[in-house]
Order: sequence, then C-alpha cells, then structure tokens
Amino acid sequence: MDQTSTLEKVLRRVAISLVILFFMFPIFWIVLMSFQTNETILRVPPSVIFEPTLSNYVALVTGKLETQAGTLEINFMSNLWNSLFLSAGSVAVGLILGIPAAYAFGRIKFRGSEDIAFTLLSFRFAPPLLVLLPLTIYFQKIGLADTYFGLIWVYQLIVLPLILWIVRGYFEDIPADIEYAYRIAGHSWFSTFRTVALPLAMPGIAAAGLLAFIFAWNNFIFALVLASADKQPVTVGALAFVTASGIQYGQVAAGIVLSILPTLALALYAQRYLVEGLSLGAVKG
Amino acid sequence: MSIQLSNIRKSFANDLVLDGVSLDIPTGETLVLFGPSGAGKTVLLRLIAGVVDPDEGRIIVNGVDMDGVVPEDRGIGMAFQNFALFPHMDAHANIASPLTARRETRSGIETRVREVAKLLKIDHVLGHTPAELSNGQKQRTALGRALAAEPSILLLDDPLRNVDAKLRFEMRLELPRLLKAQNATVIFVTQDYKEAMALGDRIAVMGDHGIVQIGTPEEIYLCPSSTRIARLFGDPTINLLDVVPEIGVQGPVVQLSATDVAISGSYAGAVGKACSLGIRPEAIRFVAPGAPGAFPVEIEAETPLNEKTVTLAATRNHREILVSRPAGTPGPDHGKAHVAIDMGNALLFDRATGARIIAADAPTDEMAT
Amino acid sequence: MSDAAVPAKRKGFRISPGALPYVLSLPALLVCIGILVPFFTAVAYSLQRYRLSQPWARRWNWGENYWNFLSDSSFWNTLKVSLTYAILTVGLELVLGLCIALLLQKRTRFNNFVSIMLLMPLMTAPALASLMWKLMTNPGFGILSYFASLIGFEDFRWASDPSTAMLTVVLVDMWVYTPFIMILLLAGLRSLPKQPFEAAALDGVPRLFVFWRITLPMLTPYLLTATLFRVIESVQQFDIIYAMTQGGPGDKLTVFQVEAYLNFFQSTNVGRSAALLMILWVITYVLSMIFIKQWLKLRERQRGEI
Repeated sequence: MDQTSTLEKVLRRVAISLVILFFMFPIFWIVLMSFQTNETILRVPPSVIFEPTLSNYVALVTGKLETQAGTLEINFMSNLWNSLFLSAGSVAVGLILGIPAAYAFGRIKFRGSEDIAFTLLSFRFAPPLLVLLPLTIYFQKIGLADTYFGLIWVYQLIVLPLILWIVRGYFEDIPADIEYAYRIAGHSWFSTFRTVALPLAMPGIAAAGLLAFIFAWNNFIFALVLASADKQPVTVGALAFVTASGIQYGQVAAGIVLSILPTLALALYAQRYLVEGLSLGAVKG
Repeated sequence: MSIQLSNIRKSFANDLVLDGVSLDIPTGETLVLFGPSGAGKTVLLRLIAGVVDPDEGRIIVNGVDMDGVVPEDRGIGMAFQNFALFPHMDAHANIASPLTARRETRSGIETRVREVAKLLKIDHVLGHTPAELSNGQKQRTALGRALAAEPSILLLDDPLRNVDAKLRFEMRLELPRLLKAQNATVIFVTQDYKEAMALGDRIAVMGDHGIVQIGTPEEIYLCPSSTRIARLFGDPTINLLDVVPEIGVQGPVVQLSATDVAISGSYAGAVGKACSLGIRPEAIRFVAPGAPGAFPVEIEAETPLNEKTVTLAATRNHREILVSRPAGTPGPDHGKAHVAIDMGNALLFDRATGARIIAADAPTDEMAT
Repeated sequence: MSDAAVPAKRKGFRISPGALPYVLSLPALLVCIGILVPFFTAVAYSLQRYRLSQPWARRWNWGENYWNFLSDSSFWNTLKVSLTYAILTVGLELVLGLCIALLLQKRTRFNNFVSIMLLMPLMTAPALASLMWKLMTNPGFGILSYFASLIGFEDFRWASDPSTAMLTVVLVDMWVYTPFIMILLLAGLRSLPKQPFEAAALDGVPRLFVFWRITLPMLTPYLLTATLFRVIESVQQFDIIYAMTQGGPGDKLTVFQVEAYLNFFQSTNVGRSAALLMILWVITYVLSMIFIKQWLKLRERQRGEI
C-alpha cells in the first residue's frame, strides 16, 4: 500500500479537507455568530471580520434581552439548569436501576433474563411517541404531568437500555472465578458485588453514565411532549427561544453554543467509549 | 474435617459432567483428583466449595449436609488454577481477604498475612498488585489467600499448572510440608502424575463422568484397573503388548520373540483370550542368553536420562518395548540382546475392554525370573 | 481447624440465591412494565374513534382507523415521505461514512484527531443541529443562502421551498449521523485481520479488487449493523424535521412521528395518531428484530476476541 502516487496523496488531502469543512463549518460559523451583534450578522456579503462582543452571552446569563420593543425576559439559563438536572437525574436513576439488573443479566443467568433484557433493548427502537402520547393523558390523571419526576422516569426509556447493555458486557468480562474466590474467602454475595464486581466494572459504568448523560441531554421529543415552559431543557427551550426572540440571531447562536458545549466537552472526554456506547456494546473502539 | 460425596450428578446445559460420583475423604487426608482436562475435577471442587450446585446427590462436610449452605459459610480455602486474584487489590489485601471476612482485628490480620507471606516467601511483594507480580508470585499469593484463614478444608485446583517447570519442582517439594502443617483435609487437582504421586495420600483417577479408580499412589501405580490408567502413570509409559495366553508346559505362557514366557498360574482363566500384557519398563532386565524367561530382542535406540537409561528394543516380530535401568548400570546399547520380565510386576488386561484381569489369587513371585 | 469454621446454616433473613436475580432486576422490570402500560394503551387508542376535542364521541371503532388509511392520501404521503427520508439519509450516509472511514483507516495521530473532531456533530442534539442549519439557511443573512447565490442560485430558499425542503433536512441528518456510520465502520476496518491485505498487496492485486472482494465482505457485519441501526432511527426521525419545518412546507415533510404529533396536538385526533404510530411500530419492530440478531452476532464476536 506504499505505492501511493503523489496524485493520490493530493486527492486524499483534498477529500479530507472537504470532509472537515462540511462537518466543522456549521459549528465554526455558529460560534462566530454568537460573538456578533445583529448588525454584523445581517451584513451582505457575510464576513468573518468583525469586532467580537460578549453581549449575546451577557444577555442570556442575565436573562434580559434588549430589543427595539423593550426589554424581554428570557429564561434560557433555567433551560440549561433543567437540562442539567434532568440529564443528571436520569443518569443517577438509570444507574441505580440499571447496575443491579445488568449484574443479574450478565453474571447470574436466570430464566427469562434474556427475554427481559431484549424487551428493554427493544424500547430503544420503538417510536417514542407511541409511549409518550398515552403517557401525556396518564400523567395528567396521576399528577405526574410537568414534574421532573415524571420526565426522569420517561428518560429511562433511552438511559436504561444503554446502561444495562454496556455495563452488562463489563460484568460478563469479569472472570467468574474472581467472584467465586471472594465468596469462598467468606464474603457475602452483596459484599462481593460491592468490593469486587463494582470496582472492576467501574470503567464501563463511567462510560455508560457519560453516554447516557449525553443522550439524555440531547433528547428533544420527551420534553417537547411532556414538559411545560418551566421544566423545558435546552433542546426544547432553544426552539421556543427562536420564536420568542424574533430576530435576535446573535443570542440564538449564543444559546445554541451554550447548549451544545457540555455534550461536546463530555464527548471529547469520553471519546474512547463512544463507539462502544453508540453500538450498545456491540463494537469496541 | 471429613467430606462425603454421595451420588453427585451435575450437567451444564446438555453436557453431562459428573454422574453418580461418591467419595469419602477422612479428616486430614490429602486426596489428589487426577485425570485429563474435562474430566470434571474442577467442577467437583466447585461443588464442594458451593459456588456450583449439584443437580443430584449430597455433599456432607463433618456430618452437615451442605445443601443450601452458601460458599461464604463453608469455611473452605481454595486456590484456583488461574489464580483468580483480585486485580484491583494488592497482594496483601488478596491474602487478607479471608481474614477481613471474619472481622478479625487489624493487628491480627497484619500478623497472619505476614506469617503466611513469609512462609510462602512473598513478604517482599505484599504491596504489589497482581499485574506487578510474576507468575510464581501470583501463584504463591493465591495459595497464601487459600491458607490465610487456616481453613480445615483446602481445595487446590491445579495450582502449579500455570507456573514454570523450575518453580513447579520447588513447590512440589514444599507443598507436602505446607499441607501437613495445615493439618487440613486437602483436595488437590492435577494433571501431572508425578505431582499426584508426590502429594496424595490417595489418588482418585477421574474419567467417564466419574471416578474410575481410587487408591494409594502405590496401588494406582502397581495395580491400575485399566490400560488407560496404566498409561497415565509412569514415565516412560508402560509397555502394552498384545498377547494371547496359551497352555505351556508348566502353566499359562505368552509368546514373546517366539519364546514361551511363563506367566502366573493364577491367570489360567485368561488362556485363549485376547489380552494386553502390561510391563513397566523398569520391570524388564537385560539378562544373559539362556537365563530363565529370557527372550531375544534387537536394540533400536538408547536414551540416557538423568537417573535412568531407557532403551528401545524390538522383539522378533517387531513389537517395540521400552526397557529402563538405573543410570550407570551396564547394559547393551546396540545389536542383539536378551531380556527377561519381572513377571511379579506384569499386569494382564482384557484387550477388548482394557480392564485389568485380576489373578485368581493374590499375585505371587513364584514365577519371577 | 478452628471451631469457628465449622460450616453451619446461618440464621436470619437472606435472599435465596434463586430469587436474587429477580430481586436485582425488579426495579428495571417495574420501569419496563411502566412503559408497557402506555404501549398497550396506544394499541387501544388506535382501535378507537377518539378526539380530545370531542371526548363524548369516544368509542371503539376497531380497525376503522387502519381501514381508512387505505383511501387516505395523506397517510400514503406520510409513508412515502418517511421511506424517502430513510432511504436517502441512510444511503447517502453509508456511502459518505464508508469513504471517510477508508480515508481515516490508518492509525495516524492526524487521522485519530480528525475522527474525534467528526464526532462533534454526532454529539450535537439533532434539534439544535436543525436550528444551527436554520440560522445558516436563513434567506436574509444565512451563509449557505449566500453561498448558493454565489454559485448562481439566487433566492435559494432551502427548507421553506417545497422542492428543496427534503434536501435540506437530509443534509442536516447527514451532518449529524454520517459520523455515526463512519465511526462504526472505522472501528470495523481497524479490527480486520491484516494478513489478507498483506497477501493481496504482495501479489499485486489491484486495490479496487481488494476493496470489493476482501474489504467489503469482511466489513459486512459492521455495515449491516450500522445500516439497520440507522434505518430504524431514520424512519422515525422527528427532532430534525420538527425543529426545522414542523413538517412543512405543506405536507412535504410529514413523516410518521411528525404527522402523529400534529394529529394528536393540533387536530386532537388521538385514534388516527395512535394508528399511525402502530404502523410505524410494526415497521421498526420487524427491523429491530433483524437488527438485534445482527447486533448479537457482532457482540458475540467482539466478546470472543477479547
């Protein structure tokens, strides 16, 4: 494969440059927009030369949006807070529910275990609205409508299968003898789980947790259907913000940047687990 | 503590591993489970340890039925073939794990870990994690963990399998002393017959989903119950010659190199039957022509080993036999020679089933030489 | 030897070993059941005449919602739009993803850096990605509209134009999900055994031939897994389309979930909405059964290799 010609090298470089351009440009451009005032954004032709301003971010953080029509209250920061709370809460609940189940499925094979594991997995692929629409009606009736609790519960639909299948793989990879050895040494089942299985599966648990957080954060449809304005995460909030702010494009861009920053940062941090997580544990990176 | 197994049956999925295994091990005995891989040795240990449950049968320890007793309550020490050390704990914590379970005092644990580590010569690596230990140190750590709580039952699953030859030799010398000092009932699994002979008070040979022969090392070596077991013990392996005993002048004889060689009269029942004659290489001697029982052979090759010399010889109808003699003793190294068999140590097996044909009376030495 | 070690049945409460796994998975099971209940409710809704605005007229009409679809042009439009979207996105992403994976196959520092960079679109919430593209395709100041005018497409209206709306959302989908396919295929490519390729190179086999006869067949499990995964998600895409155009212009982009959402919340026709989702569910269920088989194979293979 070393007989690559100069022409091929050039073509490869061009191709990779185009790929980088296509995938990076939107992020680059939105970041640029977020540091511009409306006047510079609206210039024709567009230009990358402008005087950067933090005013968009200031407006978002302080919650006051100055428009020609007067000052507009925006609660974008509360959207961010909601996203953080919902995602972290869902992951915490998902881990509490998922880790013991993953251990049961991965280590103690029992009757029906595969069926249950696959049912949980198939949730990952069912149309979410199928469950969400009846839930809106149920949630009204049982008072869960527009509560964090109700939302976190529904978020398990995406968080739980992910945690279950990734962590299960890690438990399966621990040699059974190691756990046997600890029990024979005189430790109870629970003590073995806590001091041997859990620490050894920790990398998988961390990876699953991070990925579940990212997926929960990026979710749109659950909150769109089930949450009212004060419980909305950024994904839904940003959409509403576009409608509400009218032509404040700089602030919209800044809002988008703030909304995608956490997941991008986490993804870079957890990138070596991403392949495994995205394929639900089927492919290791 | 004594261990009784009665009628144990265990299968995994559709794979029958143990069927009708019964075993009685008195307190303080070292029993070696010997057999090829897949014979169910490890499964038997796991059943006793309680990490696997039998499909049928009872496991009784010191008179108490172990059914429903979880592994942590059985008071057993076990060393695994692959060591199964806790990778996230250092050697010290590994060895201490049976002691922490019993909620002993910190100083008590410390003293005992040091004591065990010193005994096993790993006191200088207690702070290392398993990844930082050499194979030999891992093996000793695993052994130390099994011994730490001074269990009255020790299950050792081929602990010398994954260590190099030198270390295995050292441990084979050290282990009997260690085990005796423990005063525990020991079940030792191995695939190495020398290890089995060196360590076992008794050896249980496993195969065919169960125990095929159980006895002292001497019994197994001298009176194997089948050609299969006879082949498993001894190096060089036993000579097995196809023979059909005939009626000779003074009693039953077999034909070797066109010479009638007399066998014990008590084998009269085997006359006319297709048999295998099993002779350990050390039960064949070079003799002068015309000596009683002598028959001619052609020397093919000679291999001097450390303590013995092994000669490959062929009988007149090209059947090869191995002859072993202590190193340094004289013997022919080429050409024609005569050998005689120490018939008192010769065994006769049914060729069809491989089972040993028991002499009508106890073997005597009247026909020897 | 110590007497304390005499085995004895311990007294007190403990979970029997047989019940343990059930106890452990019980919480997850309860969540499972909590999700199965609304699922069956949806099945029931789909068999009812049920409008939120006319709760008094609610009654069972059995298969009528489904039966009506046969003569319902907007249903056929939904089916057509959904399938078009799924086929276009997955097909294009597959080709593009495979090309990029092949470009980045060698484990160099630069290639690893690029592949990590390309994960950023995938980690962007699809709804937010749509907003980003909406800002870029704004007819007033959008940079992409400007670029379009530079190459001669004056007044190119992207998602607001019925003829280019599909193109726009497909582009956003490609931007978000091509990296998904790329990264799976890259992992697959890098895990392939080296010997066949070395042997082919030694024999001077043309590289195009190597690609068709060695690379592609060996990559098939990864290709299949990635494709099925994406088809299942793409046929039920909601976020990108809803955030971009809410199904418009007109009914150009009313894919299943968008149509069901609009039916439920705008026309309050719960029965039709549920029936639409049931049909989507059947499609995804069949696909996901195929997927799970394929996925399990790949999973077993990966476990076996470790």
